[in-house]
Amino acid sequence: MIDVKHLCKSFAEVEVLKDINETIEQGEKVVIVGPSGSGKSTFLRCLNLMEKPTSGDIIFEGKNITQASEHEMNKLRQRMGMVFQHFNLFPHLTIKRNITLAPVKLGLMTQAEADAKAEELLERVGLPDKANEYPSRLSGGQKQRIAIARSLAMNPDVMLFDEPTSALDPEMVGEVLELMKQLAEDGMTMVVVTHEMGFAREVASRVMFMADGRILEQNEPKEFFANPQNQRLKDFLSKII
Amino acid sequence: MNGLIEDFKQNFLELDRWKYLVNGLGTTLLITFFAVIIGAVLGFVVAIVRSTHDKTGKMKVLNAICKVYLTVIRGTPMVVQLLITYFVIFGSVNIDKVFVAVLAFGINSGAYVAEIVRSGIMSIDNGQFEAGRSLGLSYRQTMISIIIPQAFKTVLPALANECIVLLKETSVAGYIAIQDLTKGGDIIRSQTFSAFMPLITVAAIYLIMVMTLTHLVGKLERRLAQSDRR
Ligand SMILES: Nc1ncnc2c1ncn2[C@@H]1O[C@H](COP(=O)(O)OP(=O)(O)OP(=O)(O)O)[C@@H](O)[C@H]1O
Ligand SMILES: [Mg+2]
Repeated sequence: MIDVKHLCKSFAEVEVLKDINETIEQGEKVVIVGPSGSGKSTFLRCLNLMEKPTSGDIIFEGKNITQASEHEMNKLRQRMGMVFQHFNLFPHLTIKRNITLAPVKLGLMTQAEADAKAEELLERVGLPDKANEYPSRLSGGQKQRIAIARSLAMNPDVMLFDEPTSALDPEMVGEVLELMKQLAEDGMTMVVVTHEMGFAREVASRVMFMADGRILEQNEPKEFFANPQNQRLKDFLSKII
Repeated sequence: MNGLIEDFKQNFLELDRWKYLVNGLGTTLLITFFAVIIGAVLGFVVAIVRSTHDKTGKMKVLNAICKVYLTVIRGTPMVVQLLITYFVIFGSVNIDKVFVAVLAFGINSGAYVAEIVRSGIMSIDNGQFEAGRSLGLSYRQTMISIIIPQAFKTVLPALANECIVLLKETSVAGYIAIQDLTKGGDIIRSQTFSAFMPLITVAAIYLIMVMTLTHLVGKLERRLAQSDRR
């Protein structure tokens, strides 16, 4: 579904991604772990062109997207949901409008259709009574669940998560991970950057270790955690577990 | 006390001199009102060009033009701009002075509004922008539906203050012989040779208008703060 070939990304002089080659299949749940500054976010953000690759190709659903025009880029992002560490809900809009804004503005649904979809999604993320609240009235965990619902409203083919629980108080991490687990069980293709090793173990079909702009090792979760090969990964795992 | 009453009669009642103030006030409000509209429109356009350039690097030429505009307008006195607009730019055409004043004050105000609005746009967390774009909204759609409404709310009090400044600024309209409120008071002074009564009255009228507007701005700010806590 997503083919990454020789992906490089530099910010000014700094090389952040160094020749990444990777294929992500439909239905996969890829979890990316690695030390801070290793390029995890940059990699994720290259996938939906929030960052423009310096060189290399990204092929999404059979189409090379690295040379996409503005218009194609907007189209493509509609099929890739993104969930941010800091939720980024729109504070001036109600929860329902947060969810319906994009599908309606982009002409994918009428307001009525979008409203119905929003209600269905709010049910799914367990917040059916919050439709007319503003984001500032929600807890962090609730905000992130709404942010996920907002992405889902576009019916994306892939969901990208960049540390979705890192900004949450510990007691709220569980509710968000639980929702993501449900999504995974429903068959969503997911790429998740996270420090939640429990989630990686339980949900991932594949775990990648990224350091210094390279993917140094990857495996299915059991082997990944039980039998790490790369010394950097061994050190990394020993530090966090 | 009797002296004051005499003074009042002479300055305002004799020969219906009060009309200078009433008509002047009308002109002042007219100029302010339309200049605010021009300033707001111009200011928003310039702010959007400037912040689009800052965010995306596009619109290089327009941005350069905007920068020149901001530098010139903010670097020269209002009176000089007014005089140049009237005597140089429109020097050879017969044109309504009030119209010239509206234009000059509007263009002047636009420069200040632009910087206020731009600071508002830049103050919105970049995550808002990214969230919009990641959903597939275009730059323009993100700007219009997500960034501007939030920026507008943040800068509304500053914009309202800019209106107050503009109201006072228009008092130099007399330089091109417009009979605004200030000029009206001054005309009375020159006719009656008594300065105190007409000028103090003019000052009082400005003060009342400014205080009323300031009060409204305060109310607005409190209401906005409330909706944030919602
Ligand atoms: N917009 C940018 N401009 C310049 N440098 C950047 C930019 N974004 C990221 N970087 C740099 O690229 C490197 C990788 O950043 P990235 O955010 O991808 O790391 P990360 O693995 O997500 O780290 P973290 O766990 O802290 O989120 C860092 O050194 C960072 O300073
Ligand atoms: Mg990161």
